[in-house]
Amino acid sequence: MSEVLETVVDPEVAAWSVLVAYTAGEGLGFNRAFLLLAEGGQIRGWFGVGPRSREEARELWADLRQRGVLPLDRLTEPDLEAVEAERKRHAATLAALSHDLVTGCGVWRRAFIGRSNHPNPCVRHWVAVLDSRELVVVPLMAGSQPWGVVLADNFVTHAPAYHGTLEAAETLAHYLRAALERTQLLLRFQEEKRRRMLAEHATALLDTARTLAHDLKNPLALAGGLAREIMSAPTADRESFTRRLGIVATAVTRAEQRVAELVAGLASRADGISLGPVEVGALAERVTEAFRPLAASRQVRLLCYHPERPMMAAAAIPSLERCLENLLANALEALGETGGEIQVAVRDEPPWVLLVVADNGLPLPAPLRVDPFAGGITTRRGGSGLGLASVRTLAEAMGGKVEYDETEPGWVRFTLFLRRWS
Amino acid sequence: MTASRLLFVDDEEGFLELYRTAFSRDGYTVETTGTIEGARDRLAQGGIDLVVLDIRLGEVSGLALLREIKAKHSGLPVVLSTAYARYQDDFSSWLADAYVVKSSELGELKQAVRRCLGAAR
Repeated sequence: MSEVLETVVDPEVAAWSVLVAYTAGEGLGFNRAFLLLAEGGQIRGWFGVGPRSREEARELWADLRQRGVLPLDRLTEPDLEAVEAERKRHAATLAALSHDLVTGCGVWRRAFIGRSNHPNPCVRHWVAVLDSRELVVVPLMAGSQPWGVVLADNFVTHAPAYHGTLEAAETLAHYLRAALERTQLLLRFQEEKRRRMLAEHATALLDTARTLAHDLKNPLALAGGLAREIMSAPTADRESFTRRLGIVATAVTRAEQRVAELVAGLASRADGISLGPVEVGALAERVTEAFRPLAASRQVRLLCYHPERPMMAAAAIPSLERCLENLLANALEALGETGGEIQVAVRDEPPWVLLVVADNGLPLPAPLRVDPFAGGITTRRGGSGLGLASVRTLAEAMGGKVEYDETEPGWVRFTLFLRRWS
Repeated sequence: MTASRLLFVDDEEGFLELYRTAFSRDGYTVETTGTIEGARDRLAQGGIDLVVLDIRLGEVSGLALLREIKAKHSGLPVVLSTAYARYQDDFSSWLADAYVVKSSELGELKQAVRRCLGAAR
């Protein structure tokens, strides 16, 4: 259990795991269990596991027996949807269990069994809500303050809770508290990181918008101004008229290009990709090097060409690495066990930096040739068909594109077009 | 009365063409240059009544030229013209007699030129 909880990153999964251990037959064997957390003067129902009624219990347990399911086996690979469904299933009960933290409530040191005549109103409330004859109450403390409580009972079987079970329940509850504190800390850290990233993105976006506003305003003001001049004072001089119209057309084209760049830039930010200058040659060399042992084991010659001078493109390193890895994996797949050659090349073709991956393996199967990047087409070449689709998604998110051709006989070539960083 | 002589400094030939056409028709004598050096040379010869200066001249800033003009030709009005209002944040731009954001509608620029020439006289 402690190993499972050490790897959990979601507080609900942590709660679910421990409460499953409370209720599993091979665990503590309670019929149901609930976690309540202290929060702002209240102790609130937070998560629950187990059947809600005797009928539901019979159906649930019969189903588990029939399918041979051992709940503890599921802890290592929790089904997030099932966890969420369990939380929703108990929402009404959890809301009903919530109670004000009245004096004396939750300051118990050890687990105990509560009944309907318990002196503490919280315990009486929980016993009443759950209609429980014997309710195991496992307190969780933060210093002298209540942190939470785990409630468990055997409302169907009425099996007694022994001292040893209470001690085991306490141990599990403490594991849970440690896991929850860790996951909540992690969540806070992630939230803080997300906020910082959002702030950075907003700043970068504002900067982009300012630059683009400038770059758009220039050609638009020029085109509009000259158009007005042409309208207000038509010139008989055809050469002058044509020259001015030419200036207007060029300005409009420039504005169009900038708009396209704006859309690509915004798309990359919407996808959470932050672009920066990436030296494509060095990246290509590094990724290719990583594939060299695999290529050698398959008798594939792997070559990488790039200019000595730095080739800077607007990209995100993880995305670009993923693109190249997918293209190399695709090429290796195409060459199979027979061997062959893969060429990786970086070229400058303003306004693009090209990253080319070509192989002399099998040609693309006919269904893939229509749109190799569509995804979902499973062939031997391209594996699941999602690798190439992912390349296109990532390339476009970086404001670039990817193309495929077989113009050179015997070679299949994929070309990534990345915007030059200027 | 002699027509006022305006010097437009902008690295985009299209804008210079626009200014030549629009301001000549309004009766001004228009001279243009695309570089800071060209502006410097022309100003050294004298006879310019007002400068319309783009702030971003390729990779260099027109604000350096603005400071130079105000140091060497203190009475010469300068109208700053640029596509982006952020340059108003640069203290150097405050030396200018007027500040106009580029637009396809030249009315604001023409008004600023008239106002600065009137004040200079």
